[in-house]
Amino acid sequence: MKHNRGGGARRAVFSPVDTRARVETVVRRLGDAIELGLLADGEQLPGESELAAQLGVSTVTLREALMALRQQGLVTTRRGRGGGSFVSLPEEPAEERVRQRLAGWSTEELRDLGDHWAAVSGAAARLAAQRTEPDDLQPLRRTLEEFTAAQDAAARSRVYGRFHVELAAAAQSARLTREQVALQTEVGALLCLVLGDDAYREEVADRHRSVISAVQDGAHDSAGELAEGCVRESTARLIALRLAL
Amino acid sequence: MSTSPGLIAPPEGDVAARVRSALEAVFDAVAQTRADTAALLARVAGQGRGPATVDLAALRPGLHARLVRHELVSGVGFVAAPGLLSDVPAWLEWWQTGSSGDIRPLLLDLDPEHSAYSDYTHWDWFALPRDTGRRAVAGPYVDYLCSDEYSLTLSAPVHLEGHFAGVAAADVYLRHFEASVLPLLRALPTPAHLVNARGRVAASADPAHLAGSLTKGPDFAAVLERARVEVWHGLRLVPCDGIPLVLVLGR
Repeated sequence: MKHNRGGGARRAVFSPVDTRARVETVVRRLGDAIELGLLADGEQLPGESELAAQLGVSTVTLREALMALRQQGLVTTRRGRGGGSFVSLPEEPAEERVRQRLAGWSTEELRDLGDHWAAVSGAAARLAAQRTEPDDLQPLRRTLEEFTAAQDAAARSRVYGRFHVELAAAAQSARLTREQVALQTEVGALLCLVLGDDAYREEVADRHRSVISAVQDGAHDSAGELAEGCVRESTARLIALRLAL
Repeated sequence: MSTSPGLIAPPEGDVAARVRSALEAVFDAVAQTRADTAALLARVAGQGRGPATVDLAALRPGLHARLVRHELVSGVGFVAAPGLLSDVPAWLEWWQTGSSGDIRPLLLDLDPEHSAYSDYTHWDWFALPRDTGRRAVAGPYVDYLCSDEYSLTLSAPVHLEGHFAGVAAADVYLRHFEASVLPLLRALPTPAHLVNARGRVAASADPAHLAGSLTKGPDFAAVLERARVEVWHGLRLVPCDGIPLVLVLGR
């Protein structure tokens, strides 16, 4: 193979794929974290270089993302001593803000997000059914109980996400687990919108209960189908809501 | 798996002993952390006050040294029992080796109002030493709380004035554990793998038993309890004396 160290074409191969998409990704990630309450109102964000390093983006990208967040009113920046970037929640109700975030997704993007999520959770459930013994199901049972007791939609959404992360961990797959954690940072903020409904919360709890039973019985095909069904229903509800906006 | 004729296979007991000594080295790191933490907590108590996160900073030089010194250890620290520290409800004084070899702290959101993962008291590495009072090996399991890696976590309880104060622990990524024990397993004349007390494969030189899968049938916890070599349907089960792993040898 001919070596061409540092050549222009080679540099281009290893340059960031799409800087614009990165800005959007950071905006969505931080925005979702603020909506989910992972970052509290008034909380100071880490310094720019530290935050950029943590997110794995350049400081330029981070600055653009912070600018977009300032425009959305989710971040304020104070100069001088004791300055920095701070989380600020706008006055309007949280649900309205999450609706606006949902409006930022096309139905095609939501459908694709749901496909990805169903693929990961379905595969995880199938593997978990083959690789699980009773003690491994304790975290899922505890999460199910916590889900049925959770009062507000944001808490339900966090625990819903944890169920799917634990399912991937029960599959003994670090890759599926990482993928599920990343998916939940996107889908979690939106799920608040459909989980406020108590009847639907009950339905999700029943669906999760049947996933646990199938995993426990080693019925891998039905565990996979049940997990996929649960995810598809949640996605369908989000899409219906998006179309009604 | 094949062995070349004339190669003298090490006896299974020797392999089990060497697996044990690999993990005993990690338990040394846990024991040092435990001793440092217990001494620190006793010293703070001697000043007539409760410990706070700032006191735990004194553990850092030791933790960093252990990460550098112990090849198998990728994370090490002290995990406080909820309520132990005066300034926060819960805390992990936890340090990890990053992918570029740098040493960095684990910073978790431990506020239950914000994080669904704030309660760490249900994880085996915390619950086992707390409930049994003894050291424990948790996993293999996907550690999505601290490292996102498929791991073993070795831990031991820390006590203050006879009360449980938390656990000292060390993480071993399964890929590093495999690199360390696979040459031993491959040297055996029959396909061999290691399982934990629940039958989960921790390392394997047998393509029919992959890491993370379950070996079903034998009661491995009972084999560890009896602490002697047993035969189950033609499989030889060799407990790694003192470590909750069983060496399984095929026909």
